[in-house]
Amino acid sequence: MIEDIERLCGTRLGPGTLYGAINRLEKQGWIEPLPAEERRQPYRITAQGLQVLRAKLTTLQQFAGSGLKRLEVL
Amino acid sequence: MNPRLARLLTRLYPRSWRKRYGAEFEALLESGHGDIRTAVNVAWSALRERILPSKGPMTDRSSLTAQFQLWCMRAPWAMFCLAPVILLAGAYLFACLILWSGWEIYPPGADSPFGVKVHGFANLYFQIGRYCYWTAPVLVGWGIEFVAIRQRAKAAWLVSGLVLVAWMGAVARIQASRTAVPGGLGHISMDFPLWQSFQSAHDAMFHALTILLLTALPYLLWRLNKVLSPISR
Repeated sequence: MIEDIERLCGTRLGPGTLYGAINRLEKQGWIEPLPAEERRQPYRITAQGLQVLRAKLTTLQQFAGSGLKRLEVL
Repeated sequence: MNPRLARLLTRLYPRSWRKRYGAEFEALLESGHGDIRTAVNVAWSALRERILPSKGPMTDRSSLTAQFQLWCMRAPWAMFCLAPVILLAGAYLFACLILWSGWEIYPPGADSPFGVKVHGFANLYFQIGRYCYWTAPVLVGWGIEFVAIRQRAKAAWLVSGLVLVAWMGAVARIQASRTAVPGGLGHISMDFPLWQSFQSAHDAMFHALTILLLTALPYLLWRLNKVLSPISR
């Protein structure tokens, strides 16, 4: 997951930061744990998490669109 | 990372946290590089977890905000039509309560609280109810406008909500009557007659348009500012 995030965002998360995020996401019901694979613990996004993610990404898309439009003027 | 160092770092976290995430966190640490940056990151996160333990979903502000956003997306009719009507009804109920209680306390012998001259605290008391009745539609309208702008809701939902609030504000009428029994309790009621005559329909329409204009004005100015501002085009 750490490597995946690094590929996506170019930032490498520390394990403490990652588990802080996992903890919050799980408590909010946006992700849930799957059965453990040996010592590895996979997680998956929930239906509620999908809705929230979609809403957040839409807001980000609008924000990015407005930002780029403003940059065109400058 | 060295398994002993991984275990040591995991033990920096509170027991309750370790009970849930300890094993997998330790496995993650063991699979990674044991550099100083990782150790500092884990120590800092563990300290934060000890000082500010993770809270449940209902007390988390970001979760409440997300829930609100979800409601705006899932059920805009509830957020922009039903909620304003309930809020406005609550404000009218409060205004009626003030009027009725003020009538019983200050001019108990009067046939109606309307037109009775009161002074001092009694006047202030009645004015609170009066202004609550007058300003409620505009305040509720501004409230839904603020939410609509923040949540980037469709203009159609905002317009529906504003029209509903303006209509309610225009046709709401408070009536007061006392029973025929001398000294009997007064009766305050509110009704929403569509129109009783052409003149009253005309008045209601004018009143609704005034409320609509007042409530929509900040939104229109905001839209105009967006259109005219060269940077937002």
